[in-house]
Amino acid sequence: MRKSERKNNEREQQASTSPSLIGIAVTTGLSGGILWSAIGVVMYHFNFAEVAPKMFVLRSWTKEPWTDTWLGDLISILIVGGISILPALLYYALFKKRQSMWVGTIYGLALWFLLFYVLHPMFANIPNVTDLNKNTIVSTICLFLLYGTFIGYSISYDFHDMVVKETKKNNN
Amino acid sequence: MQATVVPQKTENVEAYMKRKAGLGKSFDFGMREIVILKTKVQLYYVNGLVDSSIIVQLMQELVNINDHEVQEKKAAEIIENRLVHEQVEKVKTMDEVVDQVLSGLVAIFVNGLSYSFVLDVRHYPGRTPDEPDTERVIRGSRDGFTENIVENTALTRRRIRDERLRNEVMKVGERSKTDICISYLQDVADDEFVQYAKEKISAIDVDGIPMADKTLEEFILGGKWNPFPMVKYTERPDVAARQLLDGHVLIYVDTSPSIIILPTTFFNCLEHAEEMRQSPAVGTFIRWIRLLAVLSSLYLLPLWLLFTMDPSLLPKSLSFIGPNEEGNVAIYLQIIFAEIGVEFLRMAAVHTPTPLATALGLVAAVLIGQIAVDVGLFSPEVILYVAISTIGSYVTPSYELSVANKIMKLFLVITTAIFGVPGFVVGVTISLLFLISLNAFKTPYLWPFIPFNANALFRFILRLPTPLLNRRPSIVHPKDEYSQPVKRNRK
Repeated sequence: MRKSERKNNEREQQASTSPSLIGIAVTTGLSGGILWSAIGVVMYHFNFAEVAPKMFVLRSWTKEPWTDTWLGDLISILIVGGISILPALLYYALFKKRQSMWVGTIYGLALWFLLFYVLHPMFANIPNVTDLNKNTIVSTICLFLLYGTFIGYSISYDFHDMVVKETKKNNN
Repeated sequence: MQATVVPQKTENVEAYMKRKAGLGKSFDFGMREIVILKTKVQLYYVNGLVDSSIIVQLMQELVNINDHEVQEKKAAEIIENRLVHEQVEKVKTMDEVVDQVLSGLVAIFVNGLSYSFVLDVRHYPGRTPDEPDTERVIRGSRDGFTENIVENTALTRRRIRDERLRNEVMKVGERSKTDICISYLQDVADDEFVQYAKEKISAIDVDGIPMADKTLEEFILGGKWNPFPMVKYTERPDVAARQLLDGHVLIYVDTSPSIIILPTTFFNCLEHAEEMRQSPAVGTFIRWIRLLAVLSSLYLLPLWLLFTMDPSLLPKSLSFIGPNEEGNVAIYLQIIFAEIGVEFLRMAAVHTPTPLATALGLVAAVLIGQIAVDVGLFSPEVILYVAISTIGSYVTPSYELSVANKIMKLFLVITTAIFGVPGFVVGVTISLLFLISLNAFKTPYLWPFIPFNANALFRFILRLPTPLLNRRPSIVHPKDEYSQPVKRNRK
């Protein structure tokens, strides 16, 4: 008896929590943003980079003194986490069918160019790319490469996984 | 090539054995001929692999036939009836007979029969289950796998008495004919995965695999120059059983006390049985400290080197880091020398007999710790950081992983020494991308970090109480996703 009951439970559960891929993409974007911007903050504190997440998302529009403290860092990490959902959804819309992780890596590089060249005028306090020192450029590019890989590979792996699962279900 | 059938005359059998199996030349390959009811009976065996006491009993029974029976024409049937053993097989080809005899069975030929009786009287030299040296726990079972595949599967079977546990045996090695066992839960493990593993193993075509599981791993996983362990090994039956229940596939290789767990990720290699033997809070604490140790074994030295090369990187509060006086040797050379020195010690410690190990430790502490500083070869801080990162690498549960990490650390030290900050950052990025790109048996190596899986990562970071772990990890694509009813946890 117990066994059959349990099987029923499982079925219900499976039906109700069949995770939506969009939801996974959003979680991935959020966690990716939080994680890698936190690493960005650490890099800033150890002077690997002259730019910090807070210079983009906070200091470009407010000069309140609290933004200069740890609170500024924390808030900026959370904000980046929120913003980061956008690139994740964009990747989901465009490249989710690409299985290779390197698509994500290139996507990260593209995001770097987008931020430092195209969107640059939005951030008056960020120096021109040509004025940034070598360490900053290398560090931020590496950060974006890893961020892109994180977002891209996660989304396409989950998508691929889901496809495999579906085909298996249909075959049975 | 057609297989030779068993000749009816025992003289021909003997001639065959002399020609093919080296009877009379190899001292361990033996034969005994007796006459029963005027019929010649020959018994072939390999000494050392058979249990003599069983054979003696067997022969006693056979020889007694002469005292009690008279029907000479029925000799064959009478003999078959008197083989007092539960595993008697009739084998028709000589090749198979020889194979069986060489693996420790006994073959009995009766003149006039075109088949041979093969009896399993194997008794391999071996030890009793012992606690494995590399995976000790403070509490928990003290038995470990041995070199005997039959005992090993039995140790796991003792823990999972499920009728759906499958232990499939295969043979690998043209000459060694090593037994290999694939073990999985039939209604949990992914069929495709099991099939894939079996195909990979049966595709192996080699003389022998005396280095057992390691050689097998190289064959089925490729990855020729990749230092990272693509499978997890364990010598603990409780760990093996836990992985089975999670939907993993185990591969036992005869003659090896460690078994292979497939598929494996980087984070699997960081788990240790001790964490599951302690309460969840303590287990989580241990796991965090372990992570910290592993991270510091990887990144501490290159980072410190970076800060000594360029102290302006440090925030003010940390500016005390870095050697007070410039040594006579460049710091990066000191680090590399010290690292190599530690490797010397490690290798020496492996080969040194226990009574001498104390002396070795003394030499190590005095020579490297004190005198190297006094003569100005090393600065004290180098010793400190090298020591911390070395201890960190010993904390890594998987020995294979700790050595691979060491190589990665040296790589980072070198790139940092040459290029400074960009060297370190690019080095870390390359090493991470390399790890991400690894694929062990269709399984991304750095899962659940990249590709990200929030649930699984959560499950790794917090050692959750077992009643909450009702789902098997999705990475193994289990057919039955739940390991316990879901409702229990929804009170």
